[in-house]
Amino acid sequence: MDIEELSDLVKQHGKAIYGFCYRLAGNKADTDDLYQETFLKAMEVRHKMDMNQNPKAFLISIAIQLRKNKRRKFAWRQRIAPTVVLNEAADKICCTNEEITPEEAVLSNELHSMIRAATDKLNDKLKIPLLMYYTAEMSIDEVSVALRIPPGTVKSRLFKARKAMKEILEVESP
Amino acid sequence: MNDSEKWDRILKQALASAVEPEEELNQSIINRFKERTRMKRGHRKRISVGLLVVVFTIVMSITAYAATQLFSSKEIAEHLGDRSLAEAFESKDAIEINQTIASGDYNITLHGIVSGSGLSEFSSSAQDVYPDRTYAVVSISRQDSSPMPDTSSPEYGKESFLISPLIKGQKPWQVNIMSMNGGYQEIVRDGIMYRLIECDGVEMFADRGVYMAVSSDAFYNNQSFVYDEDTGVISPKVDAKGISVVFDLPLDKSKADPAKADAYLQELLKEPSVDTANEGGALEAEEAELANKFAQLKKRIPDGKVIPESVKEVTYDDKGLINYEYNDRIVKISPDMLFAEGQTGLSDAVNISGGEGNYMALQFYRDEHDVITGKVIDLN
Repeated sequence: MDIEELSDLVKQHGKAIYGFCYRLAGNKADTDDLYQETFLKAMEVRHKMDMNQNPKAFLISIAIQLRKNKRRKFAWRQRIAPTVVLNEAADKICCTNEEITPEEAVLSNELHSMIRAATDKLNDKLKIPLLMYYTAEMSIDEVSVALRIPPGTVKSRLFKARKAMKEILEVESP
Repeated sequence: MNDSEKWDRILKQALASAVEPEEELNQSIINRFKERTRMKRGHRKRISVGLLVVVFTIVMSITAYAATQLFSSKEIAEHLGDRSLAEAFESKDAIEINQTIASGDYNITLHGIVSGSGLSEFSSSAQDVYPDRTYAVVSISRQDSSPMPDTSSPEYGKESFLISPLIKGQKPWQVNIMSMNGGYQEIVRDGIMYRLIECDGVEMFADRGVYMAVSSDAFYNNQSFVYDEDTGVISPKVDAKGISVVFDLPLDKSKADPAKADAYLQELLKEPSVDTANEGGALEAEEAELANKFAQLKKRIPDGKVIPESVKEVTYDDKGLINYEYNDRIVKISPDMLFAEGQTGLSDAVNISGGEGNYMALQFYRDEHDVITGKVIDLN
């Protein structure tokens, strides 16, 4: 793979990978690190990547692995990178095409924040397929291939994740 | 639209991310890939030069050679995304060392060191107390050229390495990277492990002598180094298992600050006590309460009931750490953390666990033959 191909890869999948890394890492500094490391790692193991198959799924699975390793690696090290929250405003953009009133927008933003907070409370087993499906917009089959689990298991984990989130939201909603 | 579809749509909206990578970040990926490709090409070209260096090293019987094939401190800081620190490593205040010492089955290279305040883009809470920080890059590679495990490999992290500055004249088990508010970041590139360490600034000790010690341990271990109480010199232990390396840091003596160094050490070596914990609200009320509770519980040890089955002589692992196991308690610790040199009798360090009025203490005893025995005491 040459620079041009890497550049295309970043252009095509950068946004989806970054969004996924952000939901996984939770702050800008860690997201930038994870995102950068994901592409560089992908370059190292590019012989395993089939550009015609599904590079996005390949990149996502690298990001998941890197994050797992990072967690193990920093057992005693102090947290050096500060937790920098991304521009909240940008993050709160409501991704809907329908016209909504300002009141609805506020409600919607609140609900979205609650959903994101509830997602953070899930364990990785449920959280990662959920983020792959909704944030990286991968199909059940793509998630199944990337995580090396049967499609049925992906469906069941998504179901459990949604259920767990509903429960968290019900408990935490006034 | 049914409930499930609505829920699905809401999740999609809430979890879809509007954030995007900055163009700079994407460009940095491309640049780093370019750089890496260039470095790899360089390696192939340098094989013959490397051989010459090896021959030269043997003939002259010295262990140091220029680490030409390795990344520089600046490049490592860049790889770790700290451009500001990368610049600092290029400044006139930085010391480029590039000295390699072979130890165990490894080659350990001290690349460079830089000290000062506000050098890193990433700040840590420790900086609020001591703004001056020291950063150093050390790499470890295998002598047989087999690669160090990559950070994504399951083998990564299984082998421990301690890389720590030590101060001449100061007990290394007391003053090391752990007590000096230290931390590190690590990457593996081309089979070589690079560690960027940081801790409180060491330049203030420049007139005393400062070392950079590297060993195959997770924590400081007396089995890896020798500390001469009379001279304060710290040296590698000849029969150490694994790595045992001590670099002398060529710090600028004019940057020493004896008064600051004394004050720093006084603070670092201060025995934590309930009294000081409460002094001037130095600790939060909750912490002070915990310290108080611990002190109260510790007082109950002499009247506690020793569990007979728990009284066991400890075993040692190959790194000299003691192992003690009783029920679900597994303790693996360096004896230096429990006893001062030559100390016999009960250890002052005690582990107390439990809650809701049900507490157990674990204490160690060392006899005159250096035999250490652990026991669990019921404090109820």
